[in-house]
Parts: sequence; structure tokens; C-alpha cells
Amino acid sequence: MKAPVSWLQTFVPVPASPAEVATRFGACGFAVESIEGDVIDLEITANRPDCLSIYGLAREAAAAFNLDLAAPPGTAAAVSGSTAPIKVSLGDAGCGRYALAVADVKVGPSPAWLADRLAAAGVRPINNIVDVTNYVMLELGQPMHAFDAARLAGPEIYVRRARLRETLTTLDGVARTLDETMLVIADRERAVAIAGVMGGAASEVSASTTRIALESAWFLPSTVRATSRRLGLKTEASARFERGADINAPVAALLRALQLFADIGAGTASGGVTDLYPRPVASRSVPLRRARLARLLGDEVPDTEVERMLGRLGFVVTSTDLGWTAVVPSFRVDVAREADLIEEVGRHWGLDRIPATFPALRAMPRPSDAGVARSRLIRRLLCGAGLQEAVTFTFMSGDAAGPFAAADDRLDIKNPLSEKFAVLRPSIVPGLVESLVYNRNRQAADVRLFEVGGVFSQARGERTAVGWVLTGSRGEHWSGSAGPLTFADTRGIADLIASTAGVAIDVAPGEDLPWLARGQRARLVDPTGVEVGWIGRLSIPALDGDAVFAGEVDLGALGGFSTAPRRIAALARHPSIVRDLSILVSERLPAADVRGTIRANAPPTLVDVREFDRYQGKGVPDGQVSVSVRLTFRAPDRTLTDAEAQQAVEAIVAALRTRHDAVLRGATGRISAE
Amino acid sequence: MTPAIPELEQIRDRFQRAVADVTSLDALRAVRNRFLNRTDGEATLAVKMIASRPADEKRAFGAAANALKKEIEDALAAREAALAAAAPATGAVDITLPGRVPLLGRRHPLTQVRERIEDIFVAMGYSVIEGPELEDDWHNFEALNMPPEHPARDMQDTLYLDARLPADARGRQASLLRTHTSGMQIRYMEAQAPPVRIIAPGRVYRRDNFDATHTPMFTQVEGLVVDEGISLGDLKGTLNAFAARFFDAAVKTRFRPSFFPYTEPSAELDVECQGCAGKGCALCKHTGWIEVLGCGMVHPAVFEAVGYDAERYTGFAFGVGIERLALRLYGIDDIRMFYENDLRFLEQLAP
Repeated sequence: MKAPVSWLQTFVPVPASPAEVATRFGACGFAVESIEGDVIDLEITANRPDCLSIYGLAREAAAAFNLDLAAPPGTAAAVSGSTAPIKVSLGDAGCGRYALAVADVKVGPSPAWLADRLAAAGVRPINNIVDVTNYVMLELGQPMHAFDAARLAGPEIYVRRARLRETLTTLDGVARTLDETMLVIADRERAVAIAGVMGGAASEVSASTTRIALESAWFLPSTVRATSRRLGLKTEASARFERGADINAPVAALLRALQLFADIGAGTASGGVTDLYPRPVASRSVPLRRARLARLLGDEVPDTEVERMLGRLGFVVTSTDLGWTAVVPSFRVDVAREADLIEEVGRHWGLDRIPATFPALRAMPRPSDAGVARSRLIRRLLCGAGLQEAVTFTFMSGDAAGPFAAADDRLDIKNPLSEKFAVLRPSIVPGLVESLVYNRNRQAADVRLFEVGGVFSQARGERTAVGWVLTGSRGEHWSGSAGPLTFADTRGIADLIASTAGVAIDVAPGEDLPWLARGQRARLVDPTGVEVGWIGRLSIPALDGDAVFAGEVDLGALGGFSTAPRRIAALARHPSIVRDLSILVSERLPAADVRGTIRANAPPTLVDVREFDRYQGKGVPDGQVSVSVRLTFRAPDRTLTDAEAQQAVEAIVAALRTRHDAVLRGATGRISAE
Repeated sequence: MTPAIPELEQIRDRFQRAVADVTSLDALRAVRNRFLNRTDGEATLAVKMIASRPADEKRAFGAAANALKKEIEDALAAREAALAAAAPATGAVDITLPGRVPLLGRRHPLTQVRERIEDIFVAMGYSVIEGPELEDDWHNFEALNMPPEHPARDMQDTLYLDARLPADARGRQASLLRTHTSGMQIRYMEAQAPPVRIIAPGRVYRRDNFDATHTPMFTQVEGLVVDEGISLGDLKGTLNAFAARFFDAAVKTRFRPSFFPYTEPSAELDVECQGCAGKGCALCKHTGWIEVLGCGMVHPAVFEAVGYDAERYTGFAFGVGIERLALRLYGIDDIRMFYENDLRFLEQLAP
């Protein structure tokens, strides 16, 4: 709301310095957008439609500066009779009050003082009639509309709901299709204005207009708001009506306009003022308790100050035993209960005067949600593992989401800003891929990203997951490269997360994960077979064949992350015996099968099986692989003998031979060839 | 002082010349052999000569010969140490080569700011809670004193879900992406009796254009304190303490009245612009102040919605936008940088 200080001064003698006035407005709740010359642009919060007017702001200034506010501007217009010569029919609760006057006018330009004031307040002058309606709206906050009376089909006005698919071309030249939820002003035949929003082009005041019907009404905020939203049409009038206009303003505003017409020689009233106000609204009385005021603010405001500030703001305050009762003026649609009055006192007393205190902690705080510590731990863990944390949007395009979710399980946004933000992410990985590609396009060869956040589906709703993408090398160094990243690296991240959670996970075939490359994809399952995530090499077009490994773990499904200390197993007191075995097996034989055969045929003294080399090439027949495993034997209660280990290894070798046609290439210790 | 003994002085001279020419451990070994060899070393022989000296010279000669031998031994040891120190060490490395630094990622700047805020409030006795991003109308709007058609709903243009999700026990169905973390106030108070002292960080969504100052997704931290006798003064003291920790102890703050449907009175906290020390600059739009957060005393209608006794309990709430603070903290001017995940930006952060 643009407020010229000189205009404010017509109602309250504020200082001439716009900066000084602006500072005071800022301190009582009106943020200052800008100051240009004499004009202060103030942000009016949605609860204060009364301050979408110069007089309303003057009232605030009167309270802020403790100055007297002049009476509302002249309403002594000459009218004759009690009604206007146009009949108004009001039959809809969407209009609480409808006032109308008729005036014979001479359309022309406005005098300079009026046009200048409008321009300063940011409104383009049009002609003296329209300008006066705009002037009164800015001055008093009451929107008005002037119809060319000659363009109405007869001397009648109806306030009614629009008919389904009724059309009206509004002042902005747009043909609009209406429906029964919308309130219109109509003549005998058709709608001539959308109530509280915009008038129609056909009845617009023009240079040839000689008689006008001047409307000043009160429309139900929810009706105007719904209509404005449905039509996508916001106007100065709709902004005021939907926040709540003053139901007692229409007649005064009409008289003010008629007086201005007279003052500038634009026209004179014909007949009286029609005022239809079927259900008068009683004023509210709100109690304000002295003790409650002090308790909520944390400050003692002297009684005289309370009464002075509320009085200046237009409340009629009377003392009671416990404090006061305030009669709320009809323009203060935001004040309904005690807390609202306390805010008024606080605002004008000055928030900065209230002493800062510190609330006492009277009980042990409840623990934070477990997910908070879990996310913190995972973030630190993965940063320590060399992955960079990313934050990507929770929504993505349907194309990017495509491979990661079945079409009927996608959670779409009904009113997305663009196709790019149309689907809630089914997985964290597509967003990370976008960031990975962004970095690859900026010459980053090695990119390792992760993110912790929500993933969404219709069937499973909202879940928390951690996802990651890895590409490039394991780290280049002058002393030698650690080589390119492989499937083992993404598996390692999954294993790291699971072991931190304290949950054993295993892999299962991932043949139905279409975003991953054949032969390099796996589901992650917990010991009960519940799926907790996936890992693999990505196979999506955006990557253009780059080797990018990725994974995702559903943290809810994974579980674990208990904050209870883990029990520590007693440390082994007897030495272990380590044996290495190298065998030739088919390259298609999974390592898990070899491990399984070893464990199934070993005594309980076998405590660890670990692959430490896989080799294909010279000396290894085609289709085979040389696998080296390290076996660790240990007994909890005694020192194991070499012979015992020997016996165990021989049994293992025999089983590998039988089960997998394994050929022994070598071993530490003695292994008989047969 | 005993007079110099010519034979011994000659040995000393020869030794000093010999040792001065030595440049290697091998040469030093030869010098040692020449002078200290057990059988015929020059100094060894001098000591052996003691017995053949006249009786009256024996004592002085003996002392001088032994002193010479000791002097030679010490000089050889010192020389050997000097040569060893000068020789290249076996297995020496070029210590000026770059080390092998373990790969290390960094927490995202929005995480770092969020955790910084969490830590400050946890130190003041707050619990950190989390909640759903898919929210129902009740928790996001209605219980926060924003009934349908409330004009304040326009302040937060909402993204709605195009699906029917299962309803909760009370028949409430997630229908939108939460526009603020304030719904967590409601969820927490529905589940817990006072006193309340929580913060609720998380992502929020608005149907906003994507430009240098707006994103359709951003991050907030909601705070809520409810107890008997909580006042606006307590709100000021708490948020001043927060600002002092978050910025610096000397930061100036001010509270301006504002409007939020779920607080009454409502206020905004500004801190003095550190870019210009309050004089006014482009960063603070020439006001000298930067908006930090919105806050206020919990509206009694909110307490009524969750079944709290609004007469007995009072409280305050606040909501901090993390991106805005992060922009200031890191000295950048485009909010989109937080979502591009450009490694050249992220790798500049402290781990």
C-alpha cells in the first residue's frame, strides 16, 4: 500500500519526514517496502484490510505518534429522498450490504490534485468518475463501482448468483465464463459485474456517459475469494473484500464520493441513497484482563497506556474489575478475542520495550526422534567414506522417475509448476544422477554423491532412504591408482551402512530392476528375506554409457541403528591357524556357493572365510577362475593343533572337488593331492 | 702443565691431517686402523712404549699417551657420526610429495546450517522431532487457525497430491506437500501433554517459481515451547540467545510485529546486517536489518484445536528458513546453488 505522507497529513499531523513516519510504521507491524520521495510503500499483512486505506493508516499513525485523528472525510453530500431511482434486489447472503446512488455526471479529466494523488498512490488516472471511485477506495478502503446507467437494461439491479456458463466480458476485455458459485451484479437481462471483483465492459463509464449508478457494497470474503481464485482474477477490490471490508463503510463511502463529484464539478446525486442491509451485524465486545496481558507479554503496561492505545485505534474501552472490555470497531475484522487485543497493546507499546527473559526448564526434555541421530550418523559415515552429501529436489519429471516406479504407483503432483517437478521421487537416485551429470559436464571425473531423505509411492507412502551414486576412480595418486570403481564399491557402501545399523544383509537376484545393467544388479535383503534396497550399475540413457554405480537403502525397512550399546564378545584367548587355498572353478560359480560349501563341510572351529584373490588369465583355462580363500580356524577353549586344521582343510577340499569340480592349485600347509 | 712430548705430538699431527682428509666411512675405517689397530696402531704403539720409558718419565708419558689415544677415539667417533649424518638414509622418501589423503566428503551446507541450529536449541533443552512431508489439510492449515477460504492460505501457495492415500485413524488423508513445518506443532501437541520444548526441521514445499531467491522446495526449522507462564519476553530471550550463538554474541536484534494466523501476537526477528554494520547496503535492501525468522505467541485457537487448556498454558513458536540463513552464512546470492550440488562449491565447505 503506497501512502503519501502528505495525504496522511490530511487526517493526522504526522512529521513531514517520510523516513521518520516509516520507522514508526515498521515498529508497529507494517514492514516498509520502500520510500520514494513523499511516498512510503508499506506491506499490509493479510489480517489488516482496514489498513489498505489512507484513513486506516492515519489511524495507526495517530496511535503510534499519540496524535489526534481527524474525523472521517466529508459526508455532507446533498442527497434527496431515501432511495436512489434504481431499484435494487438483494437476495443472496454473499452480499451483506448493498448501497447505491445515482448521479448525473459530466465525464472529463480529473483536476490535477486528484490525478496526482492517485498517481502517487500507484493508480493510473482514467476519468473524473472512475478516479473518484478509486480515490475513495484508497482513502477509506471501500471499493466502489460506477455503472453507465444508460447501458443497464432498465432501472433495476439484481445481486444474484451467476448462471452456469453465463458469460461476461470484464473491464480488462476478457470474456469470462461464470458458474453458480459466483456472485454477480446483474440488470434485468444479464450480469454486468462480478461482485467485488471487476465490472463488465458493456456498462463501463465512457466519455459519453451522462448518468451513473454508483455501487458501494459489502461482499462475503469467502465468496469473493473463491470467485477470484476460480477466475484467476485479482483486483484492488477483490483484495479488500476477501480480507474483509468494513460493513459500516458503504454508505459513508458513497456520500464521500458524491461530495467529491460535487467538489470537482463532476456530477450531482439524483435522488437519495439506497441502503440494503438485511441483517445488521452487532458489534463485538472483547474482554481484556490486566493479568493475562501482563502474563502473555511478560511486561506491565500501565492502564492509562492500554486505554490510550486502544482508544486511538478506535476501540471503545471501558474498565472492569479484571481489566477492560473493548468494543471492536467494525473495520477491525481481525480482532475477535483477548489475544488479539493483547497484540494491539504489544504492537503499540513496542515489542522492543518488553524485557527479554529466559524460560525455565522444569522437566527433563524428552528424547529426540531416533531418525535424527540416525540421519546424522549416516551422513558422517558416508562423508567419512568419501561421498559428498547432496540435496536434490523431492520432485522430478515423469521421465526421470519412469524406470524407478510402476506408473500406477507413482505419486504425482496435481498442480505442478512444470513437468520438471511433476512427480514425487520414487527413489533418491535419479536426482543424484542429475547432479552427477551436472558435475561430469564440468570436468569432474570422480563423482561420489549421497543423499538422505524421503522417497514416495502410492502403495507405501512416504519412507526415508539413503541413496548414492559413484563414478570414476577410487582415487588417483602419484604412488599408484587404486583403479576404477566397480560393483564391489557400491556393495561396500551398502555393507557399510548395514554393519553400522547392526543388520546383516545379503544380496538376491535383481533381474526386475530395469534401471540397472544386466549382470550387475542385486536386491538387498535382510536375514528374514525382507527387501531393504538395491545396488548395481546404472543403465539409464542420461549416463551415455558411463560406468556409474548406485544403490539405495530404505532405512525403515533396514531397521537397526539401535542406540543401546552393543554387547562385546569375549576376545579369543587361543591362537588361530590360518590356511590359504587356491582353487580353479567355473567363472559362473558364485563366490557365495564356494563359501557355502566350505562352511557346510568345515568343523565349528572354522571362524572366518575370506576371498583374497580372484584371477583369470595366463595359467587359468578359459571359462574358469582361480579363487583364493583364506580360512581361519580357532577353538574357543584350547590351542588348535596343526593336524586338526589339516584334517578340516582336506575335508573342505574334497567337498569343493565333489560339489564344484574344483581343482586345487595350491595351498599353505600340507594338502594331499588326492 | 706437563711439557709436550715430541713423539706424541707427531702422532697427533699425523692423525689430525689424516682425519681431515676423510670423506667416507671406509676411509675413516682405514684411519682408525692406522692409529688404533691392536697390534701396530700408531697410538697403540705409543701406549705400549710406556713400559720402555725411563722410570721418572713413565708416569707423565703414560698419562699423555692414554690421553692421546682417548682423544683419537673421540675424534673418530665424532667424525663417524658426522659422516653418518651426512650420508643418505636407506629407504629415504621425498617428504615434499603430496600425501595420500583418504577420500572425504562434506555435509551439505543446508545440513551444516540445520545441525548448527539443532545443536543450539538442543543445548537449551529442546528435543528434535521429525514428521511427514505429505500432510493433511488439518495439520497443515485448519488446526493452525487457517480454516478453508482463510486469506492466509494465499500466503503459501500449495502443491497438492494427485492421488488418494490411505487415511489415518481419524480419517485424515494426506493431500498436500506441507507448506511449512508448523504442522509438526499440531502433531506433537496431539501426542504429548505440556510442557513442550521442541524443534522440527524439515523440507517444505510451495508452488513458487524457481529463481535466484525462490525454490519450490526449501528447508525450515520450526520451534515450539509450551508451559505455564511462557511470555513474549521468554520468546525474545530465547531467540536473542539463538541469534547470539548463531551469528555472534554481539549481534543486534529487533522484533517487529507481524502476522501469522497461528500466533497472536506475531513478530519477525531481524538481525543487524553484518555486511554493512546496520548502515544499509544491497544485501539488506538498505534497511540495515536482515529478516531471520517469524515467531509469536501460540494462538489460543491452536491450543483449542489440540485440546490444550489455553487458559492454563501459553507458549511461543517460531519458524526459521534455513536457505536464507545459509545464503548469508556462506556469502552467496543465488539459492539455486544449494540444489545444483556442484562439487566446486561443496568441496569448499569445512568437513
